[in-house]
Amino acid sequence: MKLKTSLFNQVYEFTSVKEVLAKANEEKSGDRLAGVAAETAAERVAAKVVLSHLTLEDIYKNPVVPYEEDEVTRVIYDDLNTTIYDEIKAWEVGNFREWILDENTTGDMIRRVSRGLTSEMVAAVTKLMSNLDLVYAAKKIKIKAHCNTTIGGENVLGIRLQPNHTTDNLDGIMISLMEGLSYGVGDAVIGLNPVNDTVENVMKVLKMFDAFKRKWKVPTQQCVLAHVTTQMEAIRKGAPSDLIFQSIAGSQKGNEAFGITADMLQEARELVLKQGTSTGPNVMYFETGQGSELSSDAHHGADQVTMEARCYGFAKRFKPFLVNTVVGFIGPEYLYDSKQVMRAGLEDHFMGKLTGIPMGVDACYTNHMKADQNDIENLAVLLTSAGCNYFMGIPAGDDIMLNYQCTGYHEAQTLRSLLGLKPIKEFADWMEEMGLLKEGKLTDRAGDASIFMK
Amino acid sequence: MEQILKSVGIDIGTTTTQMVLCAIKIENFAQSWTVPSVRIVDKTLLYKSDIYFTPLKDAQTIDVVAIKKIILDAYQKAKLSPGEVDTGAVIITGEAARKENAQEIITLLSGLAGNFVVTTAGPDLEGILAGKGSGACAHSESHACTVMNVDVGGGTTNIAVFNNGDAVESACFDIGGRLIQLDVNQKITYISSKMKLLIETLGANLIVGKHADLLELKKITDTMASAIVSIAKGNYEDPIANLLITNHGLKEKFKLKGLFFSGGIADCMIEKKASIFEYGDIGVLLGKSLTQALISSELPVLIANETIRATVIGAGIHTTSISGSTINYDSGVLPLKNIPVVKLSFEEEKNSGRTRIEAIKKRLNWVVHEGVKPLIAFSITGSSHYGFDALQLLAEDIIKGLNQVVESDQPIIISVEHDMAKALGLSLRRNLSKEKPVICIDSIRVDNGDYIDIGMPIADGQVLPVIIKTLLFGY
Amino acid sequence: MSEASLRKIIEEVVKSYYAVNSEASPKMCTPLPMEIPSIDSDAIPDITKTTIESYFAVPFAENKDAYLNYKKSTPARVGIWRAGPRYTTETLLRFRADHAIAQDAVFTNVAEDFASNKGWVEVQTVIKEKDEYLTRPDLGRILDEHAVSTLKLNYSTPPKVLVYVSDGLSSIAVETNAYDTFKSIEMGLKAKGISVAQPFFLRYGRVPAMDHVSEIVGSEVTVVLIGERPGLATGESMSCYMIYRGKVGNNESLRTVVSNIHRNGTPAVEAGAYIADIIKRMLDEKKSGVDLKL
Repeated sequence: MKLKTSLFNQVYEFTSVKEVLAKANEEKSGDRLAGVAAETAAERVAAKVVLSHLTLEDIYKNPVVPYEEDEVTRVIYDDLNTTIYDEIKAWEVGNFREWILDENTTGDMIRRVSRGLTSEMVAAVTKLMSNLDLVYAAKKIKIKAHCNTTIGGENVLGIRLQPNHTTDNLDGIMISLMEGLSYGVGDAVIGLNPVNDTVENVMKVLKMFDAFKRKWKVPTQQCVLAHVTTQMEAIRKGAPSDLIFQSIAGSQKGNEAFGITADMLQEARELVLKQGTSTGPNVMYFETGQGSELSSDAHHGADQVTMEARCYGFAKRFKPFLVNTVVGFIGPEYLYDSKQVMRAGLEDHFMGKLTGIPMGVDACYTNHMKADQNDIENLAVLLTSAGCNYFMGIPAGDDIMLNYQCTGYHEAQTLRSLLGLKPIKEFADWMEEMGLLKEGKLTDRAGDASIFMK
Repeated sequence: MEQILKSVGIDIGTTTTQMVLCAIKIENFAQSWTVPSVRIVDKTLLYKSDIYFTPLKDAQTIDVVAIKKIILDAYQKAKLSPGEVDTGAVIITGEAARKENAQEIITLLSGLAGNFVVTTAGPDLEGILAGKGSGACAHSESHACTVMNVDVGGGTTNIAVFNNGDAVESACFDIGGRLIQLDVNQKITYISSKMKLLIETLGANLIVGKHADLLELKKITDTMASAIVSIAKGNYEDPIANLLITNHGLKEKFKLKGLFFSGGIADCMIEKKASIFEYGDIGVLLGKSLTQALISSELPVLIANETIRATVIGAGIHTTSISGSTINYDSGVLPLKNIPVVKLSFEEEKNSGRTRIEAIKKRLNWVVHEGVKPLIAFSITGSSHYGFDALQLLAEDIIKGLNQVVESDQPIIISVEHDMAKALGLSLRRNLSKEKPVICIDSIRVDNGDYIDIGMPIADGQVLPVIIKTLLFGY
Repeated sequence: MSEASLRKIIEEVVKSYYAVNSEASPKMCTPLPMEIPSIDSDAIPDITKTTIESYFAVPFAENKDAYLNYKKSTPARVGIWRAGPRYTTETLLRFRADHAIAQDAVFTNVAEDFASNKGWVEVQTVIKEKDEYLTRPDLGRILDEHAVSTLKLNYSTPPKVLVYVSDGLSSIAVETNAYDTFKSIEMGLKAKGISVAQPFFLRYGRVPAMDHVSEIVGSEVTVVLIGERPGLATGESMSCYMIYRGKVGNNESLRTVVSNIHRNGTPAVEAGAYIADIIKRMLDEKKSGVDLKL
């Protein structure tokens, strides 16, 4: 294992794989805040050169958090297919990148190799990819999952309907729900981030969603994104939930900050399979985001891309229906500006797909970040080209509860028509029946929530 | 955090006496990082009494002993004692309010209906309560429109108009089922004085002690029904309708999206009664006349949720509101009942110094006269734009303007629409002696002509229950 | 004469009294800065004056009344219609305006004379400029040497209650609300017989800087009025954090917070009156944060 190189006669030497991984990262303010970023642009490239020559085995032997200390590492390593790993362990990361990009390498071939990858390997190859590489490579990898309907199909772009409200007012949630559906939003999931994380509140909202779905025969899935334990209690009390949601992190300590363990998620999955309302088999929904480990001091000196990849490795065990990074939510101390947000969005999406999970993206930004709606629209087009499973849909992209901005209802049809995509099949059929969509175009009824007010 | 208030509604009407018990659920919606925000979240009916005929000793006197028995009986059936009731309203309505011993009844019931219960209702409030109880008010809000509720009872017909959840006007007419009464032989036993006028006007042949001809009676009820149709259509010049006005009619003309009927007669409109004179009065006949008149009227008649119980449910459920959750008060002077409201217009409030002080004094003089104790609730609109300095000026001007109250032994009572009562209360106290009681509440919308009751603190003292009695509209 | 007509007459009298008086007396300034500044009649109307709740643009809604009624229950941007699949021009520009005001709140510095105009001292954290402030939250909690010595000098006797102001993530928020809230806190505490030390302004401060301040000054209760991260069109929102005997590195859960202080949330003066009550409770119970049950 060589950890040393030179560029323009300047020698660069690194002390560990962890350091190489961190310094090979594209610039992120979060890595600077953590004190793990490359000092100079040249050092960054030197780290990439060193990384490109590391073998997958070198990386396997050096997880950023030791197996003995960390549940996330254990989940990833325990689930690894050793036969496939043995086939590829001699590959250098640089060759691995080229293999993925080769025209003759198919999505199926990549999906098989995925089973032999640890998250650090996934992160490593990502660090050698340019933005267009990330788009091109991700596009090859189709990951489908089925809850009540199937997400991730060919030429399908799903949208999560996110009808958040400042006080969980049911009418306020309902109008956003109705209007979103009229725009063709909500095929991925109808999912509310509640203000009040109580069993009673979760039940109330789920029952409302369920009644609406039944009345209008909407083919989709529903979820209230409270803490996993709150949702479990609600389901035990008879709340009609199709999915269980949880935010996850890339280390055990990070998950402890969220109040979760792998066993808890396993129990949640079994519960919803047994007492939930969906067809399955994919009944879990996870959210992640670069920097969340650092914010809870649970990054173990690793960079935020690697920690993010580990979230996906962890998520994979629970056979999720939805996983998305909330890419610009955390603020400028982690992702400084639109350039960093875009890079992170492309990285996360590719890493998710390479890990083998059905990846979507919440392309977003906060108001103390140097980014605006134009940047998010750019990112959405890039990610749609990359075959992203789904985005968020919020009225005009303005989330009044979480106080950030992301993709709006209007982006759904724009992105679909731009790149020749459709909503999930059953949902597209439903839209036609409802007279919202005709020959791939929105009708005059689309955008009128009051068609549901009777 | 939740708390349940028990609310009682008792309605002693011309024909019937009823009681309901309701649960009003309040909840603090605040997160740990926001100021408290206590709101009413749910209102449910716990108990409905039987519908009793209002016991009368004779035509002029209500039977106090019998009333007391009815109420105590209802409490017993509801498994509750009067002491457990937090709020509510006892109202004597229609003709019953005009009986000679109405006041005696109120005094009696004050003791039977908990510590904090309203004990009077003019015809305007009665009409509004009926409209709230019937579901008309809620309909106007959920459909963002204007509706009219017509509560046709034994003695009076109370009309209230609601726009988008707010009562905008009300009126009362001497139209009712028991204004003419008969015995089993269809012989007339009673004709109210207003009916005598109407009979005379129409030249109908109806005399107390004589047998009543069905067609002659129908002449009366048809006329009553057409008067109601005239009012609903905005034809306020109808001479009969004017003749039948109890206190005042309607002024503004409305484009109604809904016309609701409640009261005992509403039941006679839909149900098929075995006999026209089953109740010994003209109620069933009036119901039939109304149905006929409405069929050809093209008015948008809608079904009320509650008919005969509308008023009592309105009284039990819909009288209590709660103040904002950041307020300032001395609980020692609570509860306070029947406080007249003196409201400064926002234009006047926006002034400052002498102009504003004089405006306050003028308004105060409308209600407070020599020899009358100056118990008033001074109301302003307020604004979220008040900075600290502007608030101090306002407080000083209020104190100067309310000098009469300051110097009396009455508390300073202030109600503001915008969320600023806690700061205003503090600012007022700076200018007052420590002993002077101050009640400063917000998030309450009242107007000149309203009366309010303020109850004992609830929700750990964060809010005060308030009953707003709108007794007069549109002056 | 009926009461109504009597009042009408009184009203007339009152009106004429004002008419005479307003001419006779010197023109008094309106104490409420609520008048909309008049602009040329040929100017294009201010698009931000329409509330989101009342803006409605769906042309042939099947049930407009019900739609409008639902809209009352949410500030979400619904009922905005579309241009093809995209936003209408007004929706697009309104969104940009709301984002612009939020960005200005973050990226503009609090005015140089903000503190001195109020007779307050200004000090700074070790942060040197805005960009560093946004990317280094760890440094925004440490006061620089000059600040340490200034505070030590100015508060040589540890005060019972210290309230100070810091820019946080919104300059507009503190410029708009901090003075009114502080004065109202002071009034509320004074009524309870508690005096408050003279406030100061801390530039480039994060919330945990209050722990450093507590240690330097030795205040029993330390309170910071600080700008919140702006939402769309809500650049004016301020928060108040309070801690009993704060220490550097203490748990975040020991802070008591009142947020959403602005005109459309809890107005500044009203928030101050409420905060005074909480401070009193902290002094009585000698605790703050999760330990203090509100």
